[in-house]
Amino acid sequence: MSPIRASVSDSFPPSHVRTRSRKNVLRGALPFLLGWLLAAGGEASAADSVGTESRMPYRHVIPLRDHAGDMITPPPAFDEQGKPQEPRGSPYSTAQTCGRCHDYPSISQGWHFNAATTNVPAGRPGEPWILTDPATRTQLPLSYRGWKGTFRPADVGMSDYDFLVQFARHFPGGGVGEPPKDRIATNDVRMRRMQITGALEIDCLICHNKSGHYDHEARFKAVTAENFKWAPTIASELGAYGASRPAKAFADAWRPPRPAPTNLPPIKYERHRFDSGNHVLIDITRKPSPSTCYYCHTSESNLGDSRWHSDGDIHIRAGMSCVDCHRNGIDHQVVRGYEGEINDRPVSQESIALRTRLILRDDPAISEADARKLAESRLNEEVGKVETLSCSGCHYGSADGQFAGRLGAPRPQHVGFPPIHFEKLACTACHSGPIPGDAVEIVHTSLAHKLGLPAPPRGANTAPAIVQPVFLRDVSGKIAPHKMVWPSYWGILTNGVVSPLLPDVVAKAAGDKLPTQAPADVERDPYNTKPLTNDQIRDVLTALAAGRTLGEPVFLASGKLHRLANNELQAEDHAAAEPYAWPLGHDVCPASQSVGGVKGCADCHSLDSPIYFGIVAARGPIGPKDAVSKTHLNMRGDDETVTSTFAFTFKFRPMLKVVTFGCALILLGVLLGRAFVALSGARSGMGRQSK
Amino acid sequence: MATTSITQASPAPEIPALGIGPRLAYFLMLAGLLPVALTGIGTFALGQAPMTHWILMAHVGASPVFAVGLTLVALTWPSREARYGGFSWFLFWLLLFAGWIVVVSGVLPMTPLLGTDGQHFLYLTHRYAGIAVAILTVLHLLSLRPRR
Repeated sequence: MSPIRASVSDSFPPSHVRTRSRKNVLRGALPFLLGWLLAAGGEASAADSVGTESRMPYRHVIPLRDHAGDMITPPPAFDEQGKPQEPRGSPYSTAQTCGRCHDYPSISQGWHFNAATTNVPAGRPGEPWILTDPATRTQLPLSYRGWKGTFRPADVGMSDYDFLVQFARHFPGGGVGEPPKDRIATNDVRMRRMQITGALEIDCLICHNKSGHYDHEARFKAVTAENFKWAPTIASELGAYGASRPAKAFADAWRPPRPAPTNLPPIKYERHRFDSGNHVLIDITRKPSPSTCYYCHTSESNLGDSRWHSDGDIHIRAGMSCVDCHRNGIDHQVVRGYEGEINDRPVSQESIALRTRLILRDDPAISEADARKLAESRLNEEVGKVETLSCSGCHYGSADGQFAGRLGAPRPQHVGFPPIHFEKLACTACHSGPIPGDAVEIVHTSLAHKLGLPAPPRGANTAPAIVQPVFLRDVSGKIAPHKMVWPSYWGILTNGVVSPLLPDVVAKAAGDKLPTQAPADVERDPYNTKPLTNDQIRDVLTALAAGRTLGEPVFLASGKLHRLANNELQAEDHAAAEPYAWPLGHDVCPASQSVGGVKGCADCHSLDSPIYFGIVAARGPIGPKDAVSKTHLNMRGDDETVTSTFAFTFKFRPMLKVVTFGCALILLGVLLGRAFVALSGARSGMGRQSK
Repeated sequence: MATTSITQASPAPEIPALGIGPRLAYFLMLAGLLPVALTGIGTFALGQAPMTHWILMAHVGASPVFAVGLTLVALTWPSREARYGGFSWFLFWLLLFAGWIVVVSGVLPMTPLLGTDGQHFLYLTHRYAGIAVAILTVLHLLSLRPRR
């Protein structure tokens, strides 16, 4: 059986778009193409600047290309001797296949991929990745963006490679998945595995596949087996593994400085997917459906079989899709949709380069420097429209009153709400997330709980424990609902700073001191959620302290730092034990189901108002009685006396209204009476004069 | 010696004296106005608008005192106001009218009658009518000198 021939003779792009492409190249793209290739280090081919520029999606019957840029061409079903041939070949590369027409370097700057890029503003805190290990009761918020309260993976001893193995199940690739070649070639024992596993390129079809034939579970298994470069092909169901040994096994067996193995598993392609010209129909959508977004962005607080009570987001119910608001251009800088986002969105150099190229194409007389200035100015102007895609931007218009009512967004009436509410509350405070109750509730998210992947039913105690809605002040100072997680980990306290220990380090050091789950209990509690007792924490801390000369072992959980003092366990407050919170935006509910829309003013202005006096109890792997418990107003640092006094005054609000309205009526009567007398006097005066 | 005959004109209606009731009413209005003006105009002048917390509670708490005081003034003063001359009379009625606007624009936002735009209009109306009431009250106080 011969392998699939990688052919470059079958030129790209397809004939029906080729003419235009050549024109474009001749018109001036070539110098930039070369510059681009240099800038990209030759890792990915630059775009060929072809496009249909129609609102009708292009029918993508295209050649697949491998990581070397060669076209993947299945051999004939039978060779010259009549023997059957399997359609084996290298996995396809999205950078080489999609990147031929779509500007892959620009796309790589997108929000979903750029977290580890150092010069990208972090913006408003968002959902972290949470390293979860039930055995050691670890739940550690991680982020490359440096949001306060999260750890950068490297700071806890986690390499980019380990990060990918842990989280690529919901990470679309690119960014840390595509490190520079010199990083892969170093002596870093983890990163150099990429010489075998390949890079984790941006998998465009995770979002843009329209056929419904994208297998997230297959991708999860692929990245878990460290088959990074195979994952897009397998998940897109273009083929199956041509051999059973995963890249992980090859990488484990590899002993540098021996050369990296090359007998890696091929892909056995689905022959029927290739047409006579060896092109493949990839059913693409420009606008991913909500279901696609929900793979990574599901947030579910109706746990178990109560999910059917959820109405979902009102915008989705109205027929909108996530990307109607969370839009992006070719740079994939997806609009996050919060007020003030414009300040966190500098125009990227890649976008400027791309727009400069387009301007130069359209106006050959303009100099490159002028084109660049013009591109920058136009892009900055366009970024301003981001403000119109936030809740208030869409429903009320931007600050200058422009663009209100995008997509037919109705202008809210907010009858009976004094304007101060809009200065103190984010839209989401009343309209997003579940209606607040006396206590916060557990919520599961895709990123944290691997939603979208089959697993035993997740329960209220399945780690990591995330709660919502917690009413805190957001970056703009307005009260907004947040999701919240309390970090839980073993660490070393040195000079007041806690350095987390990774679960495998703890497991190794603690040995049998860590409680193990009885096999009989696994079926009932597959996520091993039994809280640790004080004795167990003490034993593990003692084990971690053994032989240690520097630093003091500690355990952080449920808002407290636990340490040993004279062999007794002591719990105390510590900055490292503080929770990490990020604002929630969905599901959005209508006015009638919003806070304030149910009981009116009393939803907030009463002594039992959840957004002030509801309880936020820390959740973690210790007993609830040992956990921190505060009210919402304490969590956000509000003055309790002021708040409760203000709520108390609302008991007198009806009386105030009666008295004030009564006074207003009497005053009106007096004024009208005086006016009547004055008018009568004037009339009689005029009458006397006429006589 | 020439004699002058004086025609007896009909006597002008007697203006009742300002008794304890009207004085108390006026004092009540001032007692309400002082905290309301300090909190309201103070935060506005200091660029701290809108009011919040204790300031807002003081403002709302004192507002019924002002409203009741103003109403009692409206009920007890008109027959006596003429004692102080035409300008004072003019200021008095202007004060009552501005006060009525302040009271109405203060209480209407607490009702489910107006949406965001209406609420904002009332908010600004309340603010500027309130400033007018404060100024008119000062001027009216200064004008309260009985005619000889």
